[in-house]
Amino acid sequence: MSHTIGNTLSVARLEWRRLIVRPLAWVLGALTLAWLAWNFTLLLGSFLAAQIQRAALPDGPGFTDLVAVPLLGQLAQLAFLVVPLLSMSVLAGERRDGTLPLLFAAGLSAPQIVLGKYLAVLGWLLLWLALTLAMPLALAHATHLDWGKLAAATLGLLLMLAALAALGVACSTFASHPAIAAAAALVLTLALWSVNFGAQMAGVTGGAVNWLAMSTHEQPLLRGLVSTSDVLWFVLLIALALALATRRLSSDRERG
Amino acid sequence: MTPTIDSAPVLCMQQVHRRRAGRPAVQDLSLTLPHGQVLGLLGVNGAGKSTTLSMMAGALRPDSGSIQLNGADFLEQPELARQLIGWLPERAPLWAELTVSEHLDAHGRLRGLRGGALRQARTAIIERLQLQPLARRLAGVLSQGQRQRLGLACALLHRPALLVLDEPANALDPVQVAALRTLIREEAASGTAVILSTHLLTEVTAVCDRVAILHEGNLRHADRVHGDDHAALERTFFEIAMNRSPAPARAA
Repeated sequence: MSHTIGNTLSVARLEWRRLIVRPLAWVLGALTLAWLAWNFTLLLGSFLAAQIQRAALPDGPGFTDLVAVPLLGQLAQLAFLVVPLLSMSVLAGERRDGTLPLLFAAGLSAPQIVLGKYLAVLGWLLLWLALTLAMPLALAHATHLDWGKLAAATLGLLLMLAALAALGVACSTFASHPAIAAAAALVLTLALWSVNFGAQMAGVTGGAVNWLAMSTHEQPLLRGLVSTSDVLWFVLLIALALALATRRLSSDRERG
Repeated sequence: MTPTIDSAPVLCMQQVHRRRAGRPAVQDLSLTLPHGQVLGLLGVNGAGKSTTLSMMAGALRPDSGSIQLNGADFLEQPELARQLIGWLPERAPLWAELTVSEHLDAHGRLRGLRGGALRQARTAIIERLQLQPLARRLAGVLSQGQRQRLGLACALLHRPALLVLDEPANALDPVQVAALRTLIREEAASGTAVILSTHLLTEVTAVCDRVAILHEGNLRHADRVHGDDHAALERTFFEIAMNRSPAPARAA
């Protein structure tokens, strides 16, 4: 058991090191955080400008509803592009560069490799989320934060990033080239988000199509509503994506 | 804990078969290698050498047959590769973003080395393979010869019982080739079993105790190396390569 954890962490550490020395990760991080910081100042400006009108509404929306959660919503939108770019090389890059057999020859199992890679990508995304959260939290002492709502929205973001990362790693496992992995992950995640748009336009709010859509499970969390079924949906998606990635990698070793 | 059975050979392959790209790449191959011996694996391009070495290293599973490492079933316990095998694949694939030193650390951790043991092993191998001037250089900017040396360092770092080298002399200059031969003999003298795949017959006569010649996935010749009879080995090799040799050999 300790060997399994040790091997997984060794892979995660190796992938993390490779991730943070690549210019792509830095460029993505810098550009998106700059964009989010700019939007944070805009949201904050609007919030301050309308403060007097809102004072007349005792139960009106506050800092969390008007600044913090919309900022996290923007991070969610950026994640559709950032996560596929970040995860595209994790296994497709190893396959292209011929380094994948080195991991097999170190006695690592497919689940250890997949999980290690996944943890490294997830670590970067958690850092990204933490730096974004730091913006509204920096004003916590000067404003009234709805901690419960913010926690629910953060949980929603966390689950969404974890699910996108799992899909990205799975696409990278199946693709022969990182660019194909990124394109596949982008299309897949957008499709998963919007699969129910047609049904919603037709006025259908229930059923399998709506259950399948990521937006059905993410939006309540961003509004502060945590339900077990939504959390479970994300956990199932993560487990399914990682299981498929593991299966594919195992067959790589078999097929050569 | 690494299983160690002194009486058992380090490597024992029995009737190993593997298909690749729809054709048999290795057929009914049986090889045995005791501690401290150097086996040269010869063959023309496409003979099945790299496939054989990939299976020995644990990077590829055979379709059938058995592989034992120190008496334990390698196919049932692929994690044995972690400590028992050091592998230098053809063209030494590396992670271009990492420095030489980071490569050694990463390989050490993947092979179970930690803390002081890892630092000690890294320092020793850097010194042994004279990689000090390259230690902080990115792998992606190394020349092919330097890549080979780094790949060799990664293979040797954890002091494996079986060293699998796929054309290690590729892109090395004559001085480095001589150093490589010395290193292989030193490893063998310390009890490490070495498998050396090469196109160079001189390499085999210079460092190997035994030779096995593969052709079209079959083991066609297996014998001890007689250092002074290079011509005989060359004759045998060309007879096999030109398909003028008789039936496949039974085992090496």
